Amino acid sequence: MVSGSTDLPGAGSSMESAPAVDLRNITKRFGAVTACDQIDLALTRGRIHGILGENGAGKSTLMKILIGLVLPDEGSITIDGEATQIHSPLAAAELGIGMVHQHFSLVDPLTVWENVALGDAGRLDPNAIRNRIGNIADQYGLRIEPDARVGDLTAGLRQRVEIIKCLRRDPSIVIFDEPTSVLTPEESVQLFASLRQVVADEGRAVVLVSHKLDEVLHATDDITIMRQGKVVDRLLAADADAPTLARGMVGRDVSLRSERAALGVLAVDDPPVDHVLAQPDGTPVLEILGATAHAPDGRAVLNNFSLKLHAGEIVGIAGVEGNGQRELGDLLSSLISLDAGSVVVDGHKITPGRSGAMARAGVGVIPEDRHDSGIVLDMSLAENLILVDQSAVAPKGFIDHGALEAHANAMIEQFDIQCSGPHAPMWSLSGGNQQRVVLARELSQQPKVLVAAQPTRGLDVGAIEYMSDRLRAAADDGVAVLLISSELEEILDMSHRIVVMHAGRLVGEMPRADVDLERLGLMMGGATV
Amino acid sequence: MSAGTAHRQNSRLREWIFFYILSIIAALVLSAILVEATGGDWRPVMNALLDGSLRRPGRWGETLGTAAPMLLVALGTIISSKAGLINIGQEGQLFVGAAFATYFGFLLGGPGPLNVVLILIFGAVGGAAWAGVAALLKFWRNVPEVLSTLLLVTVGGQLVAYGLSQPWLLLAPLADRGNRNQVSTQLADDNRLPRPEIFGNEVPSAVFIAIALAAVVSVLLARTTWGFRLRMLGRNPRAAQRSGVGQTRYGAAALLLSGAFAGVAGAAMLAGGGFAFGNYQLVPGFSANIGWTGLLVALVAREKALVAIPVAFVFASLRTGSSFVGATGVEGRITDVIQGFLVLALLVPPAVMFLRERQRARAAATERV
Amino acid sequence: MGGFFQAFWDIASSNSTYLNGALFAAFLAFAATGEWVAERAGTLNISVEGMLLAGAFTSAVGYNITESMILALFCGVLGGLIIAGVQAEMSHRLTADQFVVGLTLNILVLGLAGFLDNEIQPATKLASSFDVPLLSDLPLIGQALFGQRWPFYVLYPLIPFTWWLVYRTRWGLELRSVGENPQSADVSGIDVNKRRRQSIYYAGFTSGLGGWFLIFGQIGLFEDSVIGGRGFIAIAAVIFGGWTLRGTLAGCIIFAGALSFRLSVQGLGYEVNSELLQSLPFIVTLLGMAIFAHRVRAPAALAQPFVRGLK
Repeated sequence: MVSGSTDLPGAGSSMESAPAVDLRNITKRFGAVTACDQIDLALTRGRIHGILGENGAGKSTLMKILIGLVLPDEGSITIDGEATQIHSPLAAAELGIGMVHQHFSLVDPLTVWENVALGDAGRLDPNAIRNRIGNIADQYGLRIEPDARVGDLTAGLRQRVEIIKCLRRDPSIVIFDEPTSVLTPEESVQLFASLRQVVADEGRAVVLVSHKLDEVLHATDDITIMRQGKVVDRLLAADADAPTLARGMVGRDVSLRSERAALGVLAVDDPPVDHVLAQPDGTPVLEILGATAHAPDGRAVLNNFSLKLHAGEIVGIAGVEGNGQRELGDLLSSLISLDAGSVVVDGHKITPGRSGAMARAGVGVIPEDRHDSGIVLDMSLAENLILVDQSAVAPKGFIDHGALEAHANAMIEQFDIQCSGPHAPMWSLSGGNQQRVVLARELSQQPKVLVAAQPTRGLDVGAIEYMSDRLRAAADDGVAVLLISSELEEILDMSHRIVVMHAGRLVGEMPRADVDLERLGLMMGGATV
Repeated sequence: MSAGTAHRQNSRLREWIFFYILSIIAALVLSAILVEATGGDWRPVMNALLDGSLRRPGRWGETLGTAAPMLLVALGTIISSKAGLINIGQEGQLFVGAAFATYFGFLLGGPGPLNVVLILIFGAVGGAAWAGVAALLKFWRNVPEVLSTLLLVTVGGQLVAYGLSQPWLLLAPLADRGNRNQVSTQLADDNRLPRPEIFGNEVPSAVFIAIALAAVVSVLLARTTWGFRLRMLGRNPRAAQRSGVGQTRYGAAALLLSGAFAGVAGAAMLAGGGFAFGNYQLVPGFSANIGWTGLLVALVAREKALVAIPVAFVFASLRTGSSFVGATGVEGRITDVIQGFLVLALLVPPAVMFLRERQRARAAATERV
Repeated sequence: MGGFFQAFWDIASSNSTYLNGALFAAFLAFAATGEWVAERAGTLNISVEGMLLAGAFTSAVGYNITESMILALFCGVLGGLIIAGVQAEMSHRLTADQFVVGLTLNILVLGLAGFLDNEIQPATKLASSFDVPLLSDLPLIGQALFGQRWPFYVLYPLIPFTWWLVYRTRWGLELRSVGENPQSADVSGIDVNKRRRQSIYYAGFTSGLGGWFLIFGQIGLFEDSVIGGRGFIAIAAVIFGGWTLRGTLAGCIIFAGALSFRLSVQGLGYEVNSELLQSLPFIVTLLGMAIFAHRVRAPAALAQPFVRGLK
């Protein structure tokens, strides 16, 4: 294994000019975990630098250090030849470092210009900001209405605002954090084109942080691969190929399809044999008919959405984030009611929005954001395992603590949950293990339908594989699995049938075997083809 | 458990105790400074507090009697706050409960012991009804319960005072009024809660009811499915909604129950008598801030029913002690100030510990965005 | 029924109804303006009641010592700020529950004011009246809005200033973002809890002014019951107004109408039970919220504490 020594190829010395950013020996520990372990990184003007690694590899921490959200324990930061320290996002902005955040940087009820102005210093001058937005829009082809409310915009436009917000300060170093997660494939291509322009025209240094191998391979010049907090490889994109990158990310040769999917390799042409399901028989287990729901501001979040799901099949819902997938998950979690339409589970009509109705009818859910409705952070692991159904451990309304503990121990063993014991508070578990608790609870209810919304988000490759295997096994046991994911790779890898959602509507449907990537991409953009 | 974690927990416990003692001392010192600054002397005040609450004959029985309704109020508060609801209108719920108890106590006028039970039950009904107004406003009209319960304190107080001015409601017949013009008829001897004598102190039996209920609430919350669901609702309403714990049903139940406890406290004050709570009859201002104090007891006890027992006793001591403070030349309301400082100071250690715990937790968790 | 309408007309056409109504509305508006700022930043600040009482008491004491109403104003503001300081530091530095802190503060201030009032017994008086030329001659509202004692007029610059602060300055923009989405604000480089603390200090500032106004502009003497729960009505006005400044002020005027109506009924000699009348403003407030609270959208992060890395 290579730890971050400086004499690797591509560590800055071989580039044309002095590095714009030179990180040396950066180390950051969170308790016992070393998120960044003696990282060296050099960014050069005029080049796109890809930082590749699976979730938890330390990419985000490294970027947070660069943007001033996290202070490193050790190491030095040199910007354009001058040693410096970055204590806050504002300080980073003054040094010319800007970041396009993946989530959490826009405030919905504010307008575009207000969002763009957020985080600056000095007097607030709306017209100057509007003009600046106009200039950037012209320059990069990022058209946007400065007085629109950000909450009304689509995910793609929101990212545009995010990019403008970053570019408005004219940063010399721009970091893109997983930028394609909210884009259609086509929009991604456009994004990378304008990325090229940003780099070429103005000599900026650009960092592209991603866990998707293909993306980094095709859109960058230099590549740094991180694993478990360390830099394991540096190479030029021109010299790289997918197997090398994959080996770097995971630390061993990668052959399984599902692993490749987890690394962000799109495999269209070879649907695995087991994915050709015999024509599903007869009555659907889950039937959604004409579901329509509106957001408080009147926008339709689900628009006459209909779907049938049969026992034993995995149906993947493809689509760009923010097109009604979250609401679909909420509907099947009894969290929202419908303005029109109905839900039938196993022949019984279920009242949407009545608390617990879906769960009682046999709909298990692995929610998109487990902290939102999946777990209770302030309760113990054992308690989290009985959120939905307490009857097994509380026969007469009194909880039998012996039975509770036994149940928890059985689950911990069966699902290999890493924890300090059944009474460990939920917040003390890592994200992957929290996800296993959710999985354990939902599967132990013996559901008829299992909704898995972004089930592998934020997990490392090993955990992704585990999750995928469990979902496949559930389908083999006759559970109807609804996979909602914004990662096309995951959808292609898992599903028997793929449906595409756009603006709360079902725009298309195809069996896995007939997937045509171009058509799929067009559908994700809203075209009915 | 390994020796390491045991050691760590030990040192954490020491930290807790250290912080708590430090804050209590800070609150007391601050109060002493205030007394000195206004020309008083803190030592006789301290003595008077101890005399009035414990040392003089008959006083600790009185203190226990004062602690009982505080504890009852606190228990209700614990139930609603477990469900994530902020009921801070116990003062009004208690008063309305006492008014219901008075009205129906006389309306029914059954034989003694049975009527005592009925009085307590109608107290609960009255308190629950008043909390029910807030529940209705919240779950039907989306009015934050923080505010509605607060506003209902004033409304409740005025409505009961109105009742006390109307002969067809609560006002006693002319012959029973004595020299007062807003007073209800006194409860008959056999309609009162007994006050057995223990070690030379008259102890109102409401104390035993309150302590028994503390045990019940403790078990209810920790051991039953209902309590489990209530806690789930309080900690994550969306997870609860998905799991079949509807906010309207469980939340309203918690709010009503919490009002019922305040109402029982009011009824117990009425039927229990004692120096602090008048003469088995309802008067304006009858609630005497017991609702507010009970609320503070619950806050200090940090949602633990059994911890609320000693805390209620301490706060009751401040109350019974205050009547002796006047003799020292210092205004008796200094005890309100001591109580306020004490509660405020006791908020600090858990907050500091929470921050430290979170830091530790974040340190332990791997980086994940 | 005719008698009822006659009575209503008497009240609605009486000058004193408007005069008192304006005073009550002004008092509520002082408190509600600051409370609105605090709520826009994410704090449902129930200690506004305590801030008002502290402001009233300290300004009374300040006048007692200095015999200057101007200096008393500064004392009142100081009193409001002290309570704001405890609320802000405890709920947005130590992350203690904001309601618990607020409630405790209200009770503590009530105890302190009662205790110290008995020890000090500050003597105060009303400020002199000042008629704005021409404007005060307008029918009905002229005297109410332009013929009051001079502390009343402090409100006039305060309201547009607050509006400008929240909607036109960078500070205000950051404040609003902090109340809507603290995670985003944090990532954008804004110190979330600092802005929230500052917004509470602003509530303390306006409430201190409100307490001072109450003593010198409306009633002239201090008792520990001067506020009497009207701080909570100010909070209700913010909710009633849908978290806009305009709506908040409308709420203040409506609720003040109920307060003033109460006085006028008695003043004009109508026989209505005084206890029922006392509770009228609170009942109107509750009804107002029952009608409007579910139609408006609260700041998304209202009453939610912010700790970085904790969603």
